Formats: sequence, structure tokens, C-alpha cells
Amino acid sequence: MSPPQANRSGLLLSAGAQRRQRVARMLGQSFLFAVASVSAVAVLFIFVFIVRDAVPFFSWERLRGFFTSTRWYPSGSPPEFGALAIIYGSAMVTVGAVVVAVPLGIAAAVCLSDVLPFGARQIIKPVIEILAAIPSVAYGFFALVVFAPLLQEHGGRVLAVMVWLLGLPLCALAVLVLSDMLSRLAGHHGRKGPQGVIAAILGCLFAGLLIWLSRMAAAVQIDSGTNALNVALILGIMALPTVVSVSEDALQAAGRELREGSYALGATRAETLLNVVVPAASGGISAAVILGFMRAIGETMVVWMASGNAAQLPQPFYNFLMPVRTLTATIAGDMGEADHVTGSERYHVLFVMALVLLLISFGCNSVSEWIIWRRRKRLGV
Amino acid sequence: MQLHTRHVLNRAFTGLGYVATGVMAAALLVLLLPIFIKGAGAFVFRGTVEFRRFEFEQNGRGNRDALQRELALVSTARAPVYAMLDAAEQEIAAAPPARQRELKSALAGLREDIRVLLGPAPGQPVPVLLRGQYGQTRWDRARVKLHDVLFSETWDYSDPSGMGRKVYVPRSEEFEGLSITSLFPYLEAHVADMLRPRVTVYWRFLTDDSRDAHIFGGIMPELLGTFYLTLGAILIAVPLGVLTAVYLTEYAREGMAVRFLRSCMSTLAGVPSIVFGLFGLAFFINTLQVSRSKSVLAGSLTLALLILPTVIRAAEEAIRAVPQAYREAALALGAGTWRTVYSVVLPAALPGILTGIVISMGRAAGETAPIIFTAAVSVGVPLKLWEVFSHPTPALSWNIYNLCTEHEAVDEIRHVQYGMVFVLVGLVLLLNLSAILLRARIAKKLKA
Amino acid sequence: MNDVSHQPLTPHVRAQAFSVFYGAHEAVRKVTFDISRGNVTAIIGPSGCGKSTFLRAINRMNDLIPGCRAGGELVFDDCNIYDPQIDVVSLRQRIGMVFQKPNPFPKSIFDNVAYGPRLRGVSRRGELAEIVERSLVRAALWDEVKDRLHENALRLSGGQQQRLCIARALAVDPEILLMDEPTSALDPRATTRIEDLIGELRGSYTIIIVTHNMQQAARVSDFTAFFYEGDLIEYGGTTEMFSRPQCKQTEDYITGRFG
Repeated sequence: MSPPQANRSGLLLSAGAQRRQRVARMLGQSFLFAVASVSAVAVLFIFVFIVRDAVPFFSWERLRGFFTSTRWYPSGSPPEFGALAIIYGSAMVTVGAVVVAVPLGIAAAVCLSDVLPFGARQIIKPVIEILAAIPSVAYGFFALVVFAPLLQEHGGRVLAVMVWLLGLPLCALAVLVLSDMLSRLAGHHGRKGPQGVIAAILGCLFAGLLIWLSRMAAAVQIDSGTNALNVALILGIMALPTVVSVSEDALQAAGRELREGSYALGATRAETLLNVVVPAASGGISAAVILGFMRAIGETMVVWMASGNAAQLPQPFYNFLMPVRTLTATIAGDMGEADHVTGSERYHVLFVMALVLLLISFGCNSVSEWIIWRRRKRLGV
Repeated sequence: MQLHTRHVLNRAFTGLGYVATGVMAAALLVLLLPIFIKGAGAFVFRGTVEFRRFEFEQNGRGNRDALQRELALVSTARAPVYAMLDAAEQEIAAAPPARQRELKSALAGLREDIRVLLGPAPGQPVPVLLRGQYGQTRWDRARVKLHDVLFSETWDYSDPSGMGRKVYVPRSEEFEGLSITSLFPYLEAHVADMLRPRVTVYWRFLTDDSRDAHIFGGIMPELLGTFYLTLGAILIAVPLGVLTAVYLTEYAREGMAVRFLRSCMSTLAGVPSIVFGLFGLAFFINTLQVSRSKSVLAGSLTLALLILPTVIRAAEEAIRAVPQAYREAALALGAGTWRTVYSVVLPAALPGILTGIVISMGRAAGETAPIIFTAAVSVGVPLKLWEVFSHPTPALSWNIYNLCTEHEAVDEIRHVQYGMVFVLVGLVLLLNLSAILLRARIAKKLKA
Repeated sequence: MNDVSHQPLTPHVRAQAFSVFYGAHEAVRKVTFDISRGNVTAIIGPSGCGKSTFLRAINRMNDLIPGCRAGGELVFDDCNIYDPQIDVVSLRQRIGMVFQKPNPFPKSIFDNVAYGPRLRGVSRRGELAEIVERSLVRAALWDEVKDRLHENALRLSGGQQQRLCIARALAVDPEILLMDEPTSALDPRATTRIEDLIGELRGSYTIIIVTHNMQQAARVSDFTAFFYEGDLIEYGGTTEMFSRPQCKQTEDYITGRFG
């Protein structure tokens, strides 16, 4: 009722104590908020400082030259900063890495979430974690010291092995599907005999095709083991754990009820996974692909050590056996041990490259967040 | 589609999944096996008498008497070689002048190659460079150098279609007609007596300084540098990260500000590592001037930014996993929010936070790009603790790159390169293994 | 509706000393009874009594649970369902299932219902459209969705989703429809509509429904089986069992003394 009486029970705080408590709480929360904003501030500062040191390079002709010319001669007189070949090199090895990591990664994630028994899963999950934990310089070491000499000396054989590795599953699948379609067309519905004959014929045809392809591959001579193929394969292995773990999370999140609904309608496991589960997890899987892409394009050490560092467009444009140069390797290599004059054109152009990388990673991040937001909205969650 | 085909396709699909998983596991094996096998070769190898001589003369290790005995045996075995070389010199002086110049240079080349193999000849002046004062310390390198002595390398351009091929011609052909041709079979037969290889366990590879650009010695400066950088990064990132996680889970209310913070964090996680390195150079060194040029401090700050998102994520997960019941019990007993956090929630979340810290340590130790411009140097001495604020340092990750590409004698020090990669990968895997074990222990405790 | 005394009874599914084990635990203990063709059989009992396990054994959904195995015989169409040579995929196309929580695929309404027929190889648009319409009509959902067949199925209400799941199950033309507590996640109005639907489907399909709601069992079923802790306590005509239960346990459960 009246303050003195209520205060006797000791439950109410005096005005002073109340104020002190409020101030302490506000101070504490502001302090924590300040700490939490360090990461936001850091991102802002990164953008600011990269842009600040990139802007001195900005002028219409220089930017146009940067993006369209392949003449990269920073120490020439006059120096030329045409980075098209370097940008192309980054794109090439990243696309290669994604081509390796995505099919392999999604297949492995599907196997991990739905096919493998519990014991095997406990063994494979650490394998993925270890692959993810290996430092990039160790991957680069492997690419340079083990893989590059292998490619150089036994290039043909390695390529032939790859042809078989890729070709065998694809051809087997093709034989199955085609033999089924053809036997149905011929009207031999449901009988295994004719389908088997057709499958055998197709099998021989495809085997012949594979043998011919692998012979051609074995004849290839690789001049230099440090090339785009080497880097693309190693980058693919590096991006694999990201793709697998994010995809696996997405597949698990699709839920048991969804799978049960499909099984109860008489679908096989493959049909359930391909027709229902993977489409339901498509958002998470797209995010996984984008994250793998980001990992590949931002990687420095592997490309610096094993890409050959030749700032030229490969001839022809799809020739992975030629050395290339990437944005990351150029930044790392050209900055040297920071022995350049701070403030020269050469210094600023590297910050332009860093800005390009920053914008690409920011763009990828935004796209993947948008995908997740859109999926959540569509499901009405 | 026919039922039979559907079943076969199902089995094929399962097979594809297994193949993909198998390829992943195979890739890991192919990656790690050479590193572990050859990397162990930096620690366990067949060391020659030159190795033991080096250890005694430079590091004071080993038994003087045993070494003297060995050296006596070795010089007995080597004496004929030097005798034959001196004899050859006489014979050349007596040879027709036309051949003399050719033979003299061939002999000089031979003497040089033998010096590389066995060390300086007795009675010759001792070279200045450390690497010239000793012969081959490792038996595997000795065999390579023996091959260089026995054969000379020429290029065969006879094949019109392809590149020239390397062929090895026996060296004795250069000395046709001289007595020295009997040197080569003698050398080949007795080189083991001249070098006396023995299985050596050089665990001090981890604690020895490197001598003469890594041709001798160990990797202590790099190991120490990696340790300093990682520790510094953790000391900076962990308090920041844990407090941020506490704010996000206990205090923040979902709104524009928090959503913005989270998207900033995920942007930070996506920044390429080389951009962190450039930022470290431009901001910490050039603008804030935390040190005049490269330093461990600047490198640690940059690494801390790199691992911050990981630490925040792990801490957040660990804090969220703490059952609400704990918080409610503390609050019901009259504790305020902050007291609840540091007396109940954080201790309960500690194992999970520790797991995140251990994984981030592995990440910080392995990263190269952020330290290229901020902290790393190719050659250096182990830093003392107070020097970390102003001095740059070698580091395992940077020096692996450096030794493989920019070093003057890349092929000579392969074992050191493998040793460094072995130690770095071993370190990171050990950290990750302990994190996995920690996590398994936590899961078991929660289930029980 | 529940008076079955004048109809000839042919067994559609026969359980003979049938058990289901989760590891060492026997969740269904040697139950023996027949499920008659064309009728609605309800399985009632308190939670954990094994009724859902028994239901899921009929279309071998228990195979999805590691460590689960069966003993005894469960006969459908003169074959033991648990014969290792049985093709589970074909079995599940003759025995359909509707789950407790509606689980439509995140696809359009049309694609949900057409999923089963597409698996069997029906690909022509006209044929599929016919099957979809027929199934939706039979599930009493056609009028509500006929104008928006290509909308996402997740936009439907809970009750509509469940009827969609029933239509989806009916689209493959099964002989038996298994329903695992189909209305427990729905509101009373939707529940009534499903119960009416069950009444309409009776005769064309054999329906086995698991429910913890005794009144529902009394309303919709012709026969009732009472399970308790894995054992089949009593089985008989619904009206009989609810008015003159033979076992004390049955009586206790029905009158609400436990469960």
C-alpha cells in the first residue's frame, strides 16, 4: 500500500536500488551486444578496407582491361593488368571441382542417410570429418609432390582409369534402362529372357565404346603435371565433405513420415529417394552445392602450388591438361612477401581481385540464404 | 517400367551409393598413406656415420669413443678411394695435352660428387657452408648420390617424334684407359662400409633447430611458430566467440538487429582465407600498426577473425543444448540471468564449447593464406615469448609451401617436407580425434 | 451397419500364432485370428499394446525398423507375408496404408495421387487424370480440389490432407487398406468425414483400422480385436463385444477402468 509498510516485508526495491539494477543490466547487455557485433563490424571493416585499397585502381580503361584482356604483365613497361585469363582459370577449376564434388557428394549423402547400416555410418562419418579437417596446404603438397609427377609420367593411364571409373556405372545404368525400354517396345512384357538378350547385346556395345575411349585416353601425353585437371580433382575432394554433410542434413530433415508414405505405396528405395526424398531436400542440397562452390573458388594453397600458374587461356577452352592461374594464387603470389611498394598499381590491382572474390562469396552466401528462406516460406513453416 | 527392372535399378542405385562412399574413403587413404609413410621417414631412417658425426660435432650428442672407432673404420674403407683419385691426378699429368683438359675437368667433377657423397676428403680445407662439411647423412640420399657418382646424365635426342630422353652413361667411360676405372666397382661394393648406415630414430626432429636451410636439423622453429599463432588466435577468438554466443542465446530477442548480426556472421564464415590475409595486412599492419611489419600478433588477430564464426557456432550449439530445466532451477532459486549463465549454463555447456575450440585450433594451425602477409617468414629462429608481439615467425603451414616451391634444393629435403606435412596433418588429426572422443563422451553422458 | 451375422465371411488375412520381435522384446505375442474380406476390422487397446506393430506387420512396414523380425505365420492370399521370397514392393501395392499424421508429398495434389500409378508404369496423361479423379472421388475430396489439382498439397487443411492420403492409397487399387489411427491428428469435423468415408469404402475394400478411440471403433467397424500388452485378448463382432464382452479385461478397458 504505502511504501514504508510494503518495504517491511522486503520484497520491494528502493528507487535507488531499482535504478542501479537497471543501469547494471543495461551496461551488461550493451557490453555483450558490443562483443557480439565484433563479427558484424569485422565484416564491415573487411569490405571497407578491401574496397579502399581497390578503388585507386578504378578507372574505366583499367577496369575494362582488367575484365577483358588476357595480357597480365604487371612488371612490364608499361605494366598491363588484363586478368581475363586469371578469372577464367578460377572459373575453370571451380567448375571442375563442382563437377567432381556434387554428383559424388550427393550420392554419398544419400547412401549415408538411407542405405548404410548404423555401424558403417559410424565409420564413414569420421572419414568425412577427417577429409574436411586436413589443412589445404597438405592437399596442395599432395597435389604437387605426389599427384603431379604421377600425372606427368603416367598421365595416359590415370586418364584411362578415370574413363573406366566414370564410364562403367553410367554404361551399366544405360544398359539396364535401354534394355527395359526396348524389350517393352518389342512387346515382350515381363519376360526376363528377351530383356536379358537385349541387355547382353547392349552391354557388348557399351563395353566396346568404353575400351575405345580408354585407349584414346591412355594415348594422351600430359606435358605438365601441374595443370587444371590436377587442381580440379583435388579441389573436388576438398569440397566433398561440405557437400556431403550439408546434403545429408537436408536429407535427414525430410523426415521419416515422408519416406514411409512412399514405401507404403509400393516404391523401391531408389524410387523413394529419387522421386520424393531428394526433391523434398532440394533446398538444402542446393545450399550444399553453393557452399561447395564457395569452398572451391576461395581456395588458395592448392591452386598456388599445383595449377601451373600460367596466366593464359587454355587452348582449346576446355583443355584441362594445361596450366592455369587463379585469382587466389595471383593474390598470394604477386604480393610476394609484401615487398611491393604499398600504393603502386600492382598493389591495388590485387585488392581489386580480392574485391571480386569477396563479392562472389557474398553473392553465393546471399543466394543460399534466400533459397533456405524461400523454402521455409513455401512450406508455411 | 517392369517390376523386375525396377528392382534391378534399385540395386544399381544402392551400388552407386556404395561406390561413391568407397571413392571418398579411397581418396582419404590415397591422400594420407604417402604422407604418413614417407613422413615417418623423417623420424625413422637409416642414418650414416656422417649423421652421427654431425650430431656429435654440432649438437654434442653421442659417444666420443664409439664415434672415433667408427671414423677409424670408415677412413680405412675410404682410403683406397682417395688414393685412386690422387693416382689418377698423376696419370692425367702424364697424358697427352689434348685429353688433359677434358680429363682434368672430369676428375674435378668426380671429386666433387664424391665429396657430396662422403664428405670433405681428409687433408682438404673445410668448406664454409655447413652442407659442404658433411657427406650424406641419410642412407636413401646416399644411394641417390652414389648413382650420381657412378653415372653421368645426358640427353638422348635421337627420337625425332618426342622430347629428348634422359639416359645414364657409366662414368667410367669418361676415364677410358686410366686406372681410376676400378674406382667405380670398388665404390659400389664398399659404400656401405664407407658410410655405415644404421637404423636411427631421430625424434629430435621435432625439437631441433633447422640448420643450413633445413638440410640438417629439425623443425622446431616452425612447430613453435604454429603453436604461438594457434594459441594467440584461440586466446582472442574464444572469449569473443563465447560471449557472442551467450548474447545470442540468452539475451537477444529475435528482431532486425539479431538477424543482421547472424547474416554478418555467416558472411564472415564465407570470406575466402586469402582475403583475410589481405585484410590483416591492410588493417592490422598498415592501419592499426599493431606491429611495424609482420608479427605473430598480427597473424593471430587475422586467424582469430577466421575461426570466430566456427567458435560462435559451436558455443551456440553447446549452450542451446543445455536443458531449459537447469536455467529454470537456477532462476527459481533467485539467480539473475548473468549469474545463471556463468554458474550453471556455461559449465554445463563447457564440453561442447571445448569441442568447438579444439576443432578451431586444428583449423587455425593448418591455415596458410591468412599468415602469408601477416606473420610468416621462411627462415627464422624459434621466438621467445615476448618477441611474438613484434617478430614474424616460420610456421608449419607456410614453410611446407616454401620448402616445396621456393627452396633452392627442393629435392634434397623431400624428407623434411614430408616430415613437416606429417607433423601438421598428425597434429590436426589428433586435435580432431580428441574432439570426436569428447563429443562421444558428451553424448554418452546425456543418454545415461 | 455393424450387423454382420447374415453375410458370408471369407478370411482375407489370417494370423496364426503370429509374433513380432524388436530385438529380444516380443511386442506382438502369438496372436491368432482372421480378418474377414470386405469388412472393417478395428484393433483397439491401450498405448504400447502392439496394435500398431501388428498393423505395420501386414504390409511389412516393420522391415524399415532395424532389428525387427517376425515369428509364426501371417497369411494373405495363401502366401505367408513373411516368406523371404515375397516381393515386398508388389505386396505393398495390394495392401495400402494411411498413417496417423497426414504425410502428403511436397508436390501437387495431382502428383501425390498419381505417384503410385506412375510407379506401376502408367504414363499417359489421360489415363493418369482418370485414375486421379476416380481416387479423389472415392476419397470424397474431388469437389473440394478439382479446380486446384496443381496446387501444392501442403496447402490443404489437415483433414483434407488425410483424405488426400487416402486417395493416394486408393489410386493403386489395393485390396486391403490399413489405417493407423487416421483421425487422431484431426479435429472432430474432419474425423466425422473420415469415418463417413470408411463407411462408404466398406465392401469394396477390406479395412483394418487401429484406433485408441473406442467410440470410433464402435461406430465404424464390423469386427473388433482387443490387444493388451502384445496379446490378443478378444476378437469378435463389434456390437457383441461392446455389449457383451467375454473377458474381464475387455470389459474393464471398454468401460474405461484403464487405458
